[in-house]
Amino acid sequence: MALSREVYQSLSDVVGAANISEDPAVLDSYVYPLTQTAIHLGPFFDAETPRGEAVLMPGSTAEVQAIVRICNRYKLKIKASSTFWSAMGFPSGDNTIQLDMRRMDKIIEIDEKNMFAVIEPGVIGATLQAEAMKLGLNTHITGAGSSCSPLASATAYNGAGPDCAYMGFGDENLLGLEWVMPTGEILRTGSLGSRLGWFSGEGPGPGVRGIIRGVIGTRGAMGVFTRCAVKLYPWPGPKTLPVKGTVPAYQADLPDNLRAYTLAFPDWRAWADGCHQIWDAGIGYIAHRQFNLFGRDLKGAMVKILSDPTKTLSDLEELLEDPEIKRVTKEMKRDFQIVLAGMTPRDIDWQDKALDQILADTGGWKVAAMAEKEIHDWVLLYLVRLGHKNLNLVFGGGYDGCFGMMGPPDLGTAHVEAAGQLKREWEQKGAIVAAGGDCMIGGIGGMGGGGNCMWENFAHFDPADEESTTGTCEFFDACDQYARENGLPPGMERTNAVARGADGRETPKAQREEMLSGAPQPAAFRYQRKIKEVLDPNDLGDAYYMTLDDPT
Amino acid sequence: MALEDFRAEMERCSHCSYCRWIPLDQIKSWRFGKGCPSVAYNNFNSYSARGRYAVALSLLKGKSTYTAEVLDIVFKCQACGSCDVACKVTRYNLEPLQAILELRAKLVEDGQSPAEHVQVIDCLRKDHNTLQMPKVSRGDWAKGLGLKDLSREKADIVFHAGCQYSYDPDLQKTARTAAGLLKKAGLDVGIMAQTETCCGARAYSMGYRDDYAKCAQRLVRAWTQAGVKQVVTSCADCYHGFKRLYPEFTSDFEVLHTVEFLDRLIKAGTLKFTKTIPMKVTYHDPCHLGRQGEPHVPWEGKEKKIKGQIIVYEPRRPRNNGAWGIYDAPRDVLKSIPGIELLEMERIREYAWCCGAAGGVKEAYPDFSNWTASERLTEAKSTGADAMVSACPWCEKNFSDAQIESAEKLKILDIADLVQQAI
Repeated sequence: MALSREVYQSLSDVVGAANISEDPAVLDSYVYPLTQTAIHLGPFFDAETPRGEAVLMPGSTAEVQAIVRICNRYKLKIKASSTFWSAMGFPSGDNTIQLDMRRMDKIIEIDEKNMFAVIEPGVIGATLQAEAMKLGLNTHITGAGSSCSPLASATAYNGAGPDCAYMGFGDENLLGLEWVMPTGEILRTGSLGSRLGWFSGEGPGPGVRGIIRGVIGTRGAMGVFTRCAVKLYPWPGPKTLPVKGTVPAYQADLPDNLRAYTLAFPDWRAWADGCHQIWDAGIGYIAHRQFNLFGRDLKGAMVKILSDPTKTLSDLEELLEDPEIKRVTKEMKRDFQIVLAGMTPRDIDWQDKALDQILADTGGWKVAAMAEKEIHDWVLLYLVRLGHKNLNLVFGGGYDGCFGMMGPPDLGTAHVEAAGQLKREWEQKGAIVAAGGDCMIGGIGGMGGGGNCMWENFAHFDPADEESTTGTCEFFDACDQYARENGLPPGMERTNAVARGADGRETPKAQREEMLSGAPQPAAFRYQRKIKEVLDPNDLGDAYYMTLDDPT
Repeated sequence: MALEDFRAEMERCSHCSYCRWIPLDQIKSWRFGKGCPSVAYNNFNSYSARGRYAVALSLLKGKSTYTAEVLDIVFKCQACGSCDVACKVTRYNLEPLQAILELRAKLVEDGQSPAEHVQVIDCLRKDHNTLQMPKVSRGDWAKGLGLKDLSREKADIVFHAGCQYSYDPDLQKTARTAAGLLKKAGLDVGIMAQTETCCGARAYSMGYRDDYAKCAQRLVRAWTQAGVKQVVTSCADCYHGFKRLYPEFTSDFEVLHTVEFLDRLIKAGTLKFTKTIPMKVTYHDPCHLGRQGEPHVPWEGKEKKIKGQIIVYEPRRPRNNGAWGIYDAPRDVLKSIPGIELLEMERIREYAWCCGAAGGVKEAYPDFSNWTASERLTEAKSTGADAMVSACPWCEKNFSDAQIESAEKLKILDIADLVQQAI
């Protein structure tokens, strides 16, 4: 249903004719295929999110406000997205306009002394990090990588990532916020709301972090966040990353106070103990089980391919037969990566000694092959910049993480072998990449520096292949079944079905209500409904902000 | 290949938007982090490689049809290949640049093309150049140099001037210098003079495959008749055409850009400098010499899957991701000139920002072309350099045009000019 000329003209008058389009082809560059499942739905072959009625690119908060007011006047739904990483940034029904926030891409300010940056939605992790590093600071980069918007992950999602152990989740880093609410009013929160600057998220001034964070963030369904301040952290490295090497095997030759290790452990109990002791010791700048995304059987060979510009995936089978790679792959069976960052020479020495002691206590070790200079420098750059996260999709073009869960290390380790075995059996059917079952990845630490891990078991498939896509979906059904039988919540590959269905559209309300009422804490969704009733009376947002009616 | 052959790629695109940026590892500032001029200028997703995959898929599925916007999306892009480099940092089975070029060819085949391109192609067909100039004056730039005319004589080396050097009086001195340096080095060199024809690479990038093919066949035939063994050019566009595109016509000439030739002469001690040039310069990597200047490796094969769903190619497919372009030769030449201080910009080598002239953009979208060049000039000035040096007449012309009205002009030079000054 096309917008009436009156509505279109009203919107065009706000952003200018160059920043609005309703051309079908342009709009189709704003649909998201449901075979691309990054966060996390399906995969469903030959399905996509619905077209918006128009796409607009506002250039200022005032323009956003004017657009939201028009949407209220004409009862149009609205979906804003900054960097469009996943399905949640796209319309989920008719009568929706898509806001593309990329024109608002300024780093307004970096307050070096108070260690925060004020940013707009279109700023990405890589550009913010580059500017922060010039001042000896660093920013949290969300696990989806440095192409993503720090504002989006701080305001509208949780923003987990490899550096959470040191820098916390994205939403933990949110300070002052400017929010065009669904009513069209502008709310400035925390110290910003008292005209005292951006330094505080909660006061002096109105605090809404709990409201907007809710269960897992507003996910583009509760107005538009136009500017925010995020905390920055110390960066004890050079002002510019000293990148060397040949594309794509870039490396960073960083000073000796920055060290990347791959740690391995004799059993999962030792692995979990290692996590706990690292948190207890307060060491580590980045910690993540990262390269296992390629799979327990393939990761050694994949690291070789990715760190050598002459190699391609066509070298994989030959590399898998290399005895040394076989040995290293086996050695790294139960592993994770850690980056130590010493603020002083004494600090890095102490952290390294503490790590060695932890490894001695747990029986773990540093994987020597991953510490070789060329590999080390590649790993270090990879983890610091997180600029290669699209390797999630390197094999066939599609991936999703099943068993998405968050909890203490013992939760994941209790299931990793059984979940891996289940996946291994499905890998034999051919729909997903035979990677060795265990493709579990996730952050080591989070939520204020420690205590829990994230776990996702990656499944890689070919989104252009119907059998592969459908087979992957069936595998996820089996994972869901495993989770139910073992007292686990549904994985992230299924929880988003609350918001969007297999046809790419909003899940019907009755179905949503049924799913949410069976959740462990349905009251949270009832509370969110009350918030939505007040803040979004005209229902501009979609079901990504999860609400539940009171029981009748 | 046909556009339909890229359908699986369109479905495998990750929608990550890496194609908007230079490789994320290489981002050194907010100001100069962008890689794709097209989406940086036009903003809508559809102007990125990701978006063009989506638009192409929409057209293939019949969900959209040709509109003015679609034409704009398809042709308002320099085909500079920045997206290709950024994409392939993590993807081994996508070819976004090839897909964009295929999309153009499909539109041209369907009679869809900017009017300005039609004009260029008309001239190419009639006068064998892209600049609306008469064919008869093509060799005039070389008058007085005493070069062999290979339409009548034979030589080991042909110096191919290309359209810009042949016709633009402001640029011709570079061609004269380059050809003169080859002659002075005692090499058996000639030119095709009036019978030289456009390389056709511009036609190729505009989607006119047949016209490109005619140019290529004409030149290959002429060089063969003239006994040519080496082709030397100072134009990065022509270099790309000869090096990467021509091998499909079984062209087995050694192709060298002037900078490679000069680098060889300097390293062999044949070319010696006697003067000092006290100047701070920055070097602009032309897209067609750098990331698109990699050698052609023939491949014919098919996709297969290993480990269930890992996509590989049989036989192993060459990977053009900008890794092996011509980056060091120009820098080595500059560094060897006494007094020259080379100051690098933030975006260099395989992730250099385009000059803005390529892909038919200069002809059809002059404002966008100028903006792209202005962005590069800003970056060049930020280094503190006195001059921006390049190795392509299209780059040089576009930079010069973009600062016509600028109060503070940066000197725009070709490497050969600096070499000549230092001899």
